[in-house]
Formats: sequence, structure tokens, C-alpha cells
Amino acid sequence: MSFEAVQGQPAQAAGRGLGIETFLYDNRIVRAFAIATVIWGLVGMSAGLLIAVELFFPGANLNLQFITFGRLRPVHTNAVIFAFVGNGMFMGIYYSLQRLCKARMFSDFLSWFNFWGWQAIIVSAAITLPLGFTTSKEYAELEWPIDIAIAVVWIAFTVNLLGTILKRRERHMYVSIWFYIATALTVAVLHVVNSMEVPAGWFKSYSMYAGVQDALVQWWYGHNAVAFFLTTPYLGMMYYFLPKAANRPVFSYRLSIIHFWGLIFIYIWAGPHHLLYTALPDWAQSLGMAFSVMLIAPSWGGMLNGLLTLRGAWDKVRQDPMLKFMVVAVTAYGMATLEGPTLAIKSINSLSHYTDWTIAHVHTGVLGWNGFLTFSVLYWLFPRLYNTQLWSTKLANYHFWIALLGMMFYVIPMYVAGVTEGLMWKQFTPDGFLQYPNFLETVVQVLPMYRLRAIGGTLYLAGVVLMVVNLYRTARSGQFVPDTEAQAAALHHEEPDSAPALSHRWLEGKAGLFTVLSVVAVLIGGLVEIIPMYLIKENVPTIASVKPYTPLEMMGRDIYIREGCLGCHSQMIRPFRSETERYGEYSKAGEFVYDHPFLWGSKRIGPDLHRVGGKYPDAWHYNHMENPRSTSPGSVMPNYPWLLSQKLDESAVAPRIRALRKVGVPYPAGFENGPALASLHAQQERIVGGLKGGLITAAPDREIIAVIAYLQRLGTDIKAPSAASPAPATAAAK
Amino acid sequence: MIENVMHHLGGIGMYGIISICIFLAFFLCMLLWAFRLKRSYLSSMSELPLDGETGRQSPSASSHPQPLSRHE
Repeated sequence: MSFEAVQGQPAQAAGRGLGIETFLYDNRIVRAFAIATVIWGLVGMSAGLLIAVELFFPGANLNLQFITFGRLRPVHTNAVIFAFVGNGMFMGIYYSLQRLCKARMFSDFLSWFNFWGWQAIIVSAAITLPLGFTTSKEYAELEWPIDIAIAVVWIAFTVNLLGTILKRRERHMYVSIWFYIATALTVAVLHVVNSMEVPAGWFKSYSMYAGVQDALVQWWYGHNAVAFFLTTPYLGMMYYFLPKAANRPVFSYRLSIIHFWGLIFIYIWAGPHHLLYTALPDWAQSLGMAFSVMLIAPSWGGMLNGLLTLRGAWDKVRQDPMLKFMVVAVTAYGMATLEGPTLAIKSINSLSHYTDWTIAHVHTGVLGWNGFLTFSVLYWLFPRLYNTQLWSTKLANYHFWIALLGMMFYVIPMYVAGVTEGLMWKQFTPDGFLQYPNFLETVVQVLPMYRLRAIGGTLYLAGVVLMVVNLYRTARSGQFVPDTEAQAAALHHEEPDSAPALSHRWLEGKAGLFTVLSVVAVLIGGLVEIIPMYLIKENVPTIASVKPYTPLEMMGRDIYIREGCLGCHSQMIRPFRSETERYGEYSKAGEFVYDHPFLWGSKRIGPDLHRVGGKYPDAWHYNHMENPRSTSPGSVMPNYPWLLSQKLDESAVAPRIRALRKVGVPYPAGFENGPALASLHAQQERIVGGLKGGLITAAPDREIIAVIAYLQRLGTDIKAPSAASPAPATAAAK
Repeated sequence: MIENVMHHLGGIGMYGIISICIFLAFFLCMLLWAFRLKRSYLSSMSELPLDGETGRQSPSASSHPQPLSRHE
């Protein structure tokens, strides 16, 4: 059936006598997701560019709290992952699934519910994250009402996906569909498990998990969000759009079977490699590392399968920008999936973790794999959706080269910065002292790399602008085809499949069983790692001196979360001499048993803060938060003047204590009805009194006082009693 | 030997060995499963994306030397 399709022609049963059915593919939903992909791509990348500039020019936030680095970073990550790649994923799935199943989507209502629901979630994120409503858990920052909305919309998508598969007219499911099934089900499981939280208000909640357990669940989620949101749906798209563009079948269908099962089975085990050398038990770290190394096998199988599909078609790559983008995307996938396991080897991770090396690695994946594949599919789709030709191949080629240059300008400086940071943090003098004891020395050293990175980001964004012009002009030059007519023979499920029972071919015809087996393959690794962490008490040895936070410290911690401080400061001192010399005693699992959520962080743009309590006087913190450069010349931390002027919301104390008690923090019954506020006021007065010694006059009810209380508590539970200054208030919370 | 290599990766102990065993067992099963499929079936399945309304009609994916766009 010609793509020069039939607009608005009703589906009819032409040739019914032969069992041939005529039906319409829904192009409207594909166009909607394609447009959303482009718009949110621009938004997400612009946010990324702004925070990249803020890292070497902290005044770029204009002293506005809503666009400080800490609050805007999750806007950038969420916009790029869930808005840009998310819409791109739906675009690819809604287009290819209909054609591979030879069926229109199961329900137009669910399709549009999926579309508008997803856009509403993105808008909610774009509003709430700058306002500071965040759980702080990376790539899962959205608060509980939005989490519920995500679950509802995702269920609608999954029902629509599985419904379409069930009503398909093609007996066997092509490999792309397997990846889509794994995506839908695994993301649902990851989202639900990681988002278990107890509300303490409309936009505040506490994770059900604490400390080490929270860290394990979070990075099981975080790693597999990369696997099953950024990777598997795009692999499904690669297996569909690459053969179409190259006009030749996939290199090896056999290899794609091994690729699929190997990838989904192994990926889920690898999460703990984000927590190497932390307080996570060794056995979990070892599993994470070993399975990460093994991931190279299926990942490279898929990458080679993609590239070898182009055998004999490389002349087309020279001409067709769509294929150029695709080749770089698949190559970037190969690079990122070789680098990831390499970084998961403990000895290498000890150097790379917390540095910009991780940022380079992530952006090789997102800019190269996700970005280039999305651009490729957009260039391929628009002419077909509008029944025309691409407006300008030359402009698309310019986009390709500018984007490639931008990516290089991004990742190469980040590799240089990452290795520089890692080496400088670990460098000792011949006398055995830290060569660079002041953390700022290592920050200042990499600022030129941060400037180059911003140039790279600008180039990449400029390329997207060229694409927008090209796609817009393409759309203007054609006429939109809302539905494409197609014909296929009806599939009679009652007819026996000729495939031998239990063969993979047989399984490809059993959508329900295939779905169940995919879920089992995915769940095994997660259950093996997570269940023992909860059942075996020895995994988190308790420390008697570790007590719950006082009400003021709890409120200060929540402000720390609101401001996104963990975007730049870790709270996890690894057991290396280079870290214990710089920060103090290494972090123990038992110190985090009341940390809902954990705040270990994943990047150090500033120093680790786990032992910062008692290190500086209260007045130092006050001045530092007002203007970091007054105490730390050359610092790139933004000013936080609003903490000095905004009043602490005391009405939040009681519901938060109640919520924390529900997740297991042993605040005494009734503590929130009076004693909590009394404790809070007493600690405020003590801190204000201390500030007067530093010639600072501050009102006790300002947010800065709570932040100081929290910072001065950090890491002091296992220090000598003399260093643990806020003991009386802590006692009040017992 | 494998244990020695794994130890050099970072004191991995028995979990590395168990992981290797799970990995090998799973991959062997997958290899066996995949290689039992007939070539004719593999060929027909890999042709699926090219069925029906294919991209072949479009210039950008065409094997014909047509211009890729209006503004080359």
C-alpha cells in the first residue's frame, strides 16, 4: 500500500473474502510526539547550557533561587531524559509498533491520554523543580503526586502497547517489540519500587528506605532508568529504523535474540557499580562490578549488529544525513557501553567516581546515542508524515557536523577535567601530605574545561535549531497525512503455530508468555540484590551513638534537599587515605540509618560534606552561604541570600516528624505536639548566640539558622563528644 | 585462573565466580536457543520492517539516485 496515503478514508474490509483487512495507521499521535520531542529537546538542552555556564560564572543565576545550579540541574536531567528522550521514544514506538503489528494502536483514547498526560507531567516537573519541590533522588526527583501521575500515564501506555500487540495481524513479534515490552514493564517496576515514600504534605515526602538501603534501591533504579528508558526503547527503534533507512534487513536476527535476552537479564544486576567503595556491603559491590563487565558482551553484540546492517550500504551513509546520524548514534552506543563497564571496575572507579569523567560518559550516551538517533528518526519521519521530501539535505548535513563538533567539544574537555580532578584529589607530596589540600585548587584547575564544555553545548543546541528550521520548512512544503491506509490478512489465533514448541520462534508468537519471561529475567537480578539487603541485619551494622536529627536539623536537611546541594556535594567519604586525610573518618553504613532519603550524591564540584560538622564556626557558614567568595576566594558556588531572609516554615515541623516516624525514625509519640518546636527554638537561639560571637546579628527564625544546624551536625555522631556541639537539642529529639 | 583475574579486578571473592557461572549458563542457553532457529524463519523475520509501506518509496531511503531534498 502506497504511503501517498488516503486521508480520512474510513477503514473497510476490502477483499474480505481473502481474509484481507484494510485499516489505518494513526500518524497524528506520531506527529504530536515528534513535535513534543523537538520542543522539549530545546528546553532541556537550554537548561543544560545555562547550568554549564553557571559552573564557571556563578552569577549567571542573577541571584534568583529558582535558577540556581542545584535546582536547575534536575530540570535539565529530567527534561532531557523524560521529555526529550521520553517523547522521542513514544514517537518511535507509536510509529513502528503499528507497522510491525500491522494494526492501528489499540486505543486512540489511550494514545492521547498518554500524550497529554506525559506533557502535563513534564510541565509539572518544570514548575515544581525550580520551586524546590524535590525528593533529591536522581532522575526520580518529582514529588509524590507527580509520581502517581507518572504511574497512571505509564499504565495507559503499557495497556495500549500490549493491546496493540494482542490485536496484531503479524503472528510473530519482531525484535523491536521485545525491547518495547521490556521497557514498558521494567520502567513500571523501577518507578513503583523506587518511589515508595510517605507524604508529609502536598509537595514533600520521605523515602520509605533509609541510608544504604535507599542508596541501593535508588541506584538500582537510576542505572536501570538508563538501561530501560534511554537504551532498550532506542534499541527497538534502531532495529526498526536502521533497516528501513538502509533498505536492507538487520545483519543477524540470531544476534538480536542474544542481544535482547543478554541485555535485559544482565543490566538489572549492575546498579551497585554506582556505589563502589561506599558504605554498601562488599558483596553487593562485587555483584554490580562483575555483571557490569559482562554487559559488554550483549551491548557490543547489539552495536555490531547495527553497524553490520549497513554492510554494502556505506555509499548511502555518505549521501543520507539520516544514516550519518544513525551511524554516529550506534557508534556512541558502543563507546558508552564499553566505557561503562570499564568505569565499573573498582580500581578505575576509585579515580573516576565523583569527577567529570562520569559527566563525559553520560553525555557520550545521551548526546551521541539518544540525541543522534532521535535526530535521525525525526529527519526520516517528517518527510513521510508530510508526504514530501526533506526541505534541505544540506542543512541536515550542517546539523550533523555541528552536532558532532559540539559533542566533541563537550566530552573531550570533560574527560580532561575528570582525570585532572581524580589525580589531583589523590596526589600526595613526597612527605606524605595532600598536594592540593584546598579543594578549590582542583576546581579552579578545571574551569577552562567547563568553558569549553559550554561552547560544545552551544554548538549542539545550534544544530538542533537548524533541525527545527529544516523540519518546519519540510512540514510547510508538504501536506500532513493523518492516517495511512494499509492492508493485511487477519491473524487467526486459533490456528496452530507451525513453530516447534518451546523454540524461540514459538515464543515470538506468544505475546503473554514472552512478556512474563521478560519480567522474570529482569526481576531476578533486582531481587537477588535488594532482598538480602533488607533481610540480613549485618548489612547495616548499627551504631549506638547515631541518633535522629533534631527538628531544626531536620528542617535544615530539607532545605539542603530543596536547594539541590547534593548536585555538587557528596556525603560519602570513601576508605582511601586521600579522602580520610582531606575529609576525615570514612563513612560507615550505620551512620545513615535515619537518612530518609540518603544524600550521598554522585558528583563533587565542591568538597564532600559528611564530616563538615564542627569543622568551621557557625559564622563561617553564615558568611559562606551569603557569599561563598567571601570565605573561599575563587569558589564557583552560587550565593544563597534568600536563606538569610526567608522565614523557616515551622508549620511543616509536625507533619514531617509524623511522616518520618512512619518510615521508621524513632521520634517519641507526641514529640511533634510541642516538644519539637521547643527544641527547635532552643537550638535556634543557641546558634544565633554563637553568630553574635562572629559579629553577625541574625533573626532566629530564618532558614539559614536551620541550614547551619544541619551542617554542624553532619558526621558528628561518631566524632568525639567535644566536637558534637548540638548535643542538647539532639537529646530533646530522643 | 579466573579467580585470580577477578581478584585483580578488586578483591571480588566468590560473588565474581558465581556471577561468571550465571553469565555463562545464561549465554550458553541463549546461544543454543538462537542457533536452533531455521535460516528461512530468521530471514523472513528480519524482513519484517521492510514489509508493506516501506521507506523505499521515499527518496531519502531510496536505492534510486533521486535527490534527497528540495534544497540540495
